[in-house]
Amino acid sequence: MKFITPTAEELSYLRADPLLWEQELDIRPDVAEVIEQATGIRAGRVYWRSDHDYLYSLELADLGHGRPAMATIYGHWDRYEPRPPEHEIDVDLLGFLVWLAGITESIDPSDIERVADFAHKQTGHVWTTWPEDSVLRTPEERFANLPDFPYEPHYVEVEGLRMAYIEQGTGDPILMLHGEPTWGYLYRHMIPPLAKLGRVVVPDLIGFGRSDKPVADNAYSFKSHVRWTRRFVDSLDLKRITLVCQDWGGPIGLRVVSEMPERFSHLVPMNTGITDGSREPASGFLSWRRISQRASDFNVAAGIRAVLSRRTLTDEEAAAYDAPFPSKEYQAAVLNFPRFAPIRPDHPGAYDSRLAIEKLRTLDLPVLLLAGDKDPYTRGGLDVLHSIFRNSAPPISIKDAGHFIQEDAGEEIAEHIRAWMAATP
Amino acid sequence: MSPELRVKPDWLKPLYPWEQHAITVNGRTMAYIDEGDANARPVLLLSGNPTWGFLYRDFIGPLTQAGYRAIAPDWVGAGYSDHPHNDTALTFAHHIADLVSLMEQLRLRGFVIVGQDWGGPQGVGAALQRVERLDALVLMNTWLFTDYIGKFHSSPRPWTTWHAPLIGQFFMKRHKILSHAGPSITSQRGITETEARAYHHVFDESDSDHVVLTWPRTIPMREGDRGWDDMLAIERRLPELARVPTLLLWAPGDNVFTIEYANRLKELLPHAEGPITFDKAAHFLQDDRGPDIARAIVEFLDKTVGRTI
Repeated sequence: MKFITPTAEELSYLRADPLLWEQELDIRPDVAEVIEQATGIRAGRVYWRSDHDYLYSLELADLGHGRPAMATIYGHWDRYEPRPPEHEIDVDLLGFLVWLAGITESIDPSDIERVADFAHKQTGHVWTTWPEDSVLRTPEERFANLPDFPYEPHYVEVEGLRMAYIEQGTGDPILMLHGEPTWGYLYRHMIPPLAKLGRVVVPDLIGFGRSDKPVADNAYSFKSHVRWTRRFVDSLDLKRITLVCQDWGGPIGLRVVSEMPERFSHLVPMNTGITDGSREPASGFLSWRRISQRASDFNVAAGIRAVLSRRTLTDEEAAAYDAPFPSKEYQAAVLNFPRFAPIRPDHPGAYDSRLAIEKLRTLDLPVLLLAGDKDPYTRGGLDVLHSIFRNSAPPISIKDAGHFIQEDAGEEIAEHIRAWMAATP
Repeated sequence: MSPELRVKPDWLKPLYPWEQHAITVNGRTMAYIDEGDANARPVLLLSGNPTWGFLYRDFIGPLTQAGYRAIAPDWVGAGYSDHPHNDTALTFAHHIADLVSLMEQLRLRGFVIVGQDWGGPQGVGAALQRVERLDALVLMNTWLFTDYIGKFHSSPRPWTTWHAPLIGQFFMKRHKILSHAGPSITSQRGITETEARAYHHVFDESDSDHVVLTWPRTIPMREGDRGWDDMLAIERRLPELARVPTLLLWAPGDNVFTIEYANRLKELLPHAEGPITFDKAAHFLQDDRGPDIARAIVEFLDKTVGRTI
């Protein structure tokens, strides 16, 4: 267990939620003593980050016993947001308990898992994965006969969820990340040309496309999308990645880059940005946020169609964008995305984005920025990226291309990417 | 698995006939009633210390008959909700996050916040997290700011002494003075014994009065106080409510939130209607003048946002 010291600023954005409290810690003096040895404190507080990237703390009081005598474990969540799913908290707490058992001679760590398993089977409590009915999976027949998208889906499991991707070509990976409210289908015009350059990998974010769709709003956060995407990159063990990203693919993908920069070689952000809430959001984005946050369901294809510039969608293509969502119950990810964008410095996720931006500033990766000149949502976002990435040229403006630049100008931007990569080893 | 609530006693049913629902928010059970057309505009009726949904019993009929959906939750720590025994689960931020969780799980859109006492800042604090979904606001004898503190909250007799360390444990928790006497001693119309019992029977169990004490201790008096940063965060975002039709209803007879509080709210929310004042009413004006206040709210909603979302 690696204990850390979070900044006062980070803590100010979080609330401390008591999860376990023990008033008789030294009923087993050996447990109290190993806790003191491992944490280096008898009274006070230590923090750690779990595998879910959540912050936890252990607070100790000694009550004059000469060793820790009382303990409370807190989860630190976004200050005013509902907690993440309970099973994620259970997994994190069990991780702590297994660690504690591991340093305590009188407790066998494998017993912790045995008891958890027993408790789950006997009581239906202690979920270490998504409970039944908390995740939907779009039936595969919804994806029959997709125009220009003949690719076989592949799947990896991330945190108990099935995450779908398609791949084409060989060589260094070209990872293409979609955003709101699309899926990998958005990249279909770019897959054939880019598959000549490398191994094109196009995942569907959790909640989109063929990937699994948790139904509860609190399953989703900026943090969870970053985590799931990072785990995806990890499980495919992608290296020397060219990241092509648009809309939410940008902030998510770039935060993944900031966490594992050694895996990336080229970045191509298009109609996207990353913000820590310190600058005024585009007014187009704010009206989208308002509309989307009042909606109880969302007509995905109509929304895309409305902002295309050069072309429109055929009915078959429109059906392909609607395919992932047989009903509004499948749309939690779509409906929640817009509110994750940090629009104030104290917005949930703003602090994490600030840290990511600081990291990105230090990177020398070559960056190609592509901007649809008809995109009302991310205006200014690419200029910010240009100022963040020291090895980037000013954004290239793509004429008569809207927010879904891959639809309006897929082949054209694929050619930009090809030419730039050839000139940028 | 849906959580279970304590059983409503038979004597309470004639006064509070509505079905109580249970939902898990942040790992704790929250009780609420949810009446009226599920597709109509939701009106969240938010009480404060030491009350619960019962305070709004005169509002459910008028609101639902006028075509609105009336939702009255009990804050975690109060009413039929869980009464956690750990004070750190009862912070300002927890109450806000609990209500956000309820609004999220019920998928509320275009909702109305009606708040009195802590129902004001906690309701507005939650609404600000989903501000695009807030359509109207009604505030009664409450506050949303740090820069004015009235005599009652700053006075040692009795308030700041009542909730002082250890002294508060004795009077508020061990002897339940506020939860058992609060609504009855301030009543202007003279509530019945059964009504008084309805307010405090939810604190019958020993060691169940935690929230009654954490709430007074969260009232921000000066920078660094436990509730200061959260109240300031709300106060700073009040300009975002300029587009939200707002109504101030006030009982000037309340010695806690005096009319000065209404005036300060009016300065911060200059577009608000009111304050419309109600005599023969004190801190729990919903109890003193329930039908009249419910009527004022229905009229206001009808002419501003209406019953359809």
